[in-house]
Amino acid sequence: MTNPLRSESDAFRVLVYFVAVVAVIVLIVLVVRALT
Amino acid sequence: MEAASIAHAEHHGPPPAHRSSRVKAPMLGMLLFIMSEVMIFGAFFTAYFFIRIVNHNAWPAPGTVIPESVAGINTAILLSSSLTIHWALVSVKTGNRFGLKAGMVATFLLGLTFLTVQVNEYIHLGWAPHDSAQATVFYALTGLHGAHVFIGLCALLIVSIRAFRGHYTPEEHQGMEVPGIYWHFVDAMWIIVFTTIYVL
Repeated sequence: MTNPLRSESDAFRVLVYFVAVVAVIVLIVLVVRALT
Repeated sequence: MEAASIAHAEHHGPPPAHRSSRVKAPMLGMLLFIMSEVMIFGAFFTAYFFIRIVNHNAWPAPGTVIPESVAGINTAILLSSSLTIHWALVSVKTGNRFGLKAGMVATFLLGLTFLTVQVNEYIHLGWAPHDSAQATVFYALTGLHGAHVFIGLCALLIVSIRAFRGHYTPEEHQGMEVPGIYWHFVDAMWIIVFTTIYVL
């Protein structure tokens, strides 16, 4: 299991996943806003 | 006589601390610190939520402009700095001293650039924190994050100086791991601030 407080490499991996998830969410919100 | 003096020395002062936790002390310290900082950001985001969602105030405030493109560039700068500090840590683990030093210097300079751009943005915004509730929460959230960047830069400066002095080895570099974790936390916080304040 990835623990962002165990090591910097785990923290970096979590950051990358986090950025990807946020980007997807923002994209969905912007698309929904544009369509409505 | 010797046994008595040894017994005296063993009983002198407080007993050693009980270490039953499997968590290392520096990591526990960083965990508690990050948790407290998440609480502070949570409080500020709650204020933002009440101003924008609960009270239906316009965002941004009428007559004001929020510079998304400048903030977008700043986001790219801060994300790059996370890449460079990761490079520095990978380098120290593989004994690559050039990568270690270059990575730390690059991380510090990128962080400093971020902060400089942020301050420059404040100067050219054209509206002050007291102009509206929206302005207050904008300056509060970005300013709080900027303060965290400043703290991180202080830590990065110390790490960089120590890196140049040869204090880190592939076996012993915990003094780099903890600031590296903190820097990624600062970056993650900026992603949240950027998407809620500037983008959405």
